[in-house]
Amino acid sequence: MKDFLTLKILDRFQFIFKKFNVDYPTLRRILQIKFIMDTRRIPVSVGKARKQPDRDYFRVSLFIYAFMGFFTMVPIAIVINDPMVLMTYIFGILMFLLLMTVIADFSNVLLDVRDKGIILTKPVNPKVLSVAKFIHIFRYLFLITLSLVGPLTLALLVKYSFLEGFVYALLFTLLFIFEVILLNLFIIVLTTLLYLFILKYFSGEKLKDIINYIQITMTIIIAISYQIIGRAFELTELLDFNITIRWYHYFLMPFWFGAPYKLLFEGNLEASIITLTILTIIIPIVAFIIYTKSIGTFENSLLKLNQTDKQKPYKKERWFIAKLITKTQDEFTFYRFSYQMLKSEREFKLRVYPSLGLSMIFPFIFMFQSGFDLAKISTSNAHLYLYFCAFMMPMVTYMLRFSRSYKATWVFYSTPTKNLSDFKKAALKAFLVRLLIPIYVLESIIFTILFGVRIIPDLVAIFLTIQIFTVICYRIFGNFVPFSQPFENATKGQPLVFFLISAILGIMAGIHYAVTLFPLFIYPYILLLIVVTFIAWKKGLDERNKLDENRRLN
Amino acid sequence: MNIIKITDLSMKYDNNPVLNNINLEVKAGEIIGYIGPNGAGKSTTVKIMLGLVTGYTGKVEIFGEDISLGNVDYKRRIGYVPEVADLYDSLTAREYLTFIGSLYGLSDNDVDAKAKELLKLFDIQDVYDQRINTFSKGMRQKVVIISSLLHNPDLLFLDEPLSGLDANTVMVVKELLSLFSEKGKTIFYSSHIMEVVEKISNRIILINKGQIVADGSFETLKDQVHGSTLEQIFNELTGFNQHEEIAKNILSVIEG
Repeated sequence: MKDFLTLKILDRFQFIFKKFNVDYPTLRRILQIKFIMDTRRIPVSVGKARKQPDRDYFRVSLFIYAFMGFFTMVPIAIVINDPMVLMTYIFGILMFLLLMTVIADFSNVLLDVRDKGIILTKPVNPKVLSVAKFIHIFRYLFLITLSLVGPLTLALLVKYSFLEGFVYALLFTLLFIFEVILLNLFIIVLTTLLYLFILKYFSGEKLKDIINYIQITMTIIIAISYQIIGRAFELTELLDFNITIRWYHYFLMPFWFGAPYKLLFEGNLEASIITLTILTIIIPIVAFIIYTKSIGTFENSLLKLNQTDKQKPYKKERWFIAKLITKTQDEFTFYRFSYQMLKSEREFKLRVYPSLGLSMIFPFIFMFQSGFDLAKISTSNAHLYLYFCAFMMPMVTYMLRFSRSYKATWVFYSTPTKNLSDFKKAALKAFLVRLLIPIYVLESIIFTILFGVRIIPDLVAIFLTIQIFTVICYRIFGNFVPFSQPFENATKGQPLVFFLISAILGIMAGIHYAVTLFPLFIYPYILLLIVVTFIAWKKGLDERNKLDENRRLN
Repeated sequence: MNIIKITDLSMKYDNNPVLNNINLEVKAGEIIGYIGPNGAGKSTTVKIMLGLVTGYTGKVEIFGEDISLGNVDYKRRIGYVPEVADLYDSLTAREYLTFIGSLYGLSDNDVDAKAKELLKLFDIQDVYDQRINTFSKGMRQKVVIISSLLHNPDLLFLDEPLSGLDANTVMVVKELLSLFSEKGKTIFYSSHIMEVVEKISNRIILINKGQIVADGSFETLKDQVHGSTLEQIFNELTGFNQHEEIAKNILSVIEG
């Protein structure tokens, strides 16, 4: 069976475990199994990468982390010279990235309820399992941290060798590595205690929701960080300032980690700096002690994950909009069903929300691309970037066919459902009402504030165009029974196709731009769009029933 | 010697009593049919004996040893098939079974040879190196059963062990259980299928609302409670006799 370097290293230190009465061979075996399972898990950061059997996804994700670490931290290290300011920034970024990663990717390790049933029913001391869990996460976190800070460490070494000489640079990086290990320790403890807290006061379902949203945030942040790479240099220039320690700095962890640099490398012996330095060391250790004391409670609280929530009082919903925009009883039923699925399916959210988040941010990214001069922007045509709101439409119409419970589709075949094309339409409408239109309205409000009411006719035109575009996407991607396929089938070289389809949106935006060149042309243009939208939704969605074809596909 | 001895066992979850003063002694070679309605406290009792649930009052001794003292070695002689068995299903059957074996302190080579043989006897030898998440329900259940037997346990806790198995395999497992009993192994068998419990167990314990309401062989229970099948005895002792009425009501609701 596969052996791991970590295990070989641990073998050297087995005397430590023996000293604490931890059964080392069992510990090793549990870890080995966990590591094997890790290589078969797909981390959130790898995301849409194509699935291949027997590929070490963990290793792939390490490259992504190295990439991320390079672009988020190395520019800062080049620009900022003051050691404490620099390291405060670095640890701010690092802490954020690591916390997000642990929660996004390793929640299922921390929250694995299987461990108890499988391992603790065997002659295994619970202590061994707790230690195994900790080492498991620590190894993972350590490897990720190593990838993240690898490029940075090199950059620091080179930079300070030039500025202050090699010995200085070496000590500087050694302190950095020491602090990073402390930070790792602290992050695990912090996450566990956070979960413990949530589990104590909220239900297991709530925790799963919270984790879901953190995973979504994580994906959005990774995506954005790629987007703003180019701007990183200008941004960091804005950030370089001299720190005077104020009371609230004592609550901000990155400042703790920055302080030892001022203390050791500038010989600054101010009380504030010494206090911060002490906090750096004391707090992680204290937290770790609390952790070891409360880990038993944690395992017990985990049982809550399997419990069902207390039933909330049923609130009768009126479904006003649903009745307004659906034509037949069947379509209404499917609309309601799709709406509820979109609302509750975590995996769908995880796959689609990040893209939606991106499409929310795109208009702003492009708007600010030419600079931050608001006065200049507000007189420009930059509000047409709002078209990017619908940039993800092809992808979403494509994703609508997937679900975790795809096998449940049999109910549509065992019931006398006449027309599944009603279902497809309904799912599309539910998506528009639940997700796209709220995003668009929100962005429109922000843009109106920035640009003034003069853009409202344009906003109407964009809205109508998006409706037409939706029908186009539907014609291309929507011809599948919604929620009928496993997520594993998703992404087969589709991104390029999505991009090409989005070019249609670009053409439509171009026409719109041309119209704006002639004053007042916008009104007849809107009229035209209304007619086209009406026809598109009337004719474009009604299509021959492809039920049988779908049945074959399923 | 008693294999299991439970004295005055009580348990509460958030102030709701789940188990109420359970007393029980089990001897080697007994096959105990452990039955009761949903939520009666069956699986809680088993989980307590496996050390998965703590916070009970009373005393639980297994193989003559008080399990609350924190020594987990008694589990070396126990095999467990839970009703809903979690598995590390991204592992292959080989990886999973050798892992479980080593938790019992067996060497990989021994487990590997044994597991291979057992998979063959259960007729799933060709999936030994495939990941468990591709298995059908019956194949999974076979893996669960095999994983509970690798270490030749003296005490078995089986909770609906036959679910998902085909009729032929069911016969094999039933036969196996009686062989175990002849060898002096003790079996704690929970199920909702009364016919099976009636046939295989030589002692039946019925638990209702956290209390033992009947304890004895099927023959003695038949004499105590009027009823010719275990199903009837079960209904009688759990105070359930409205099945006809409820069925009629269901029908009338369906007909509207």
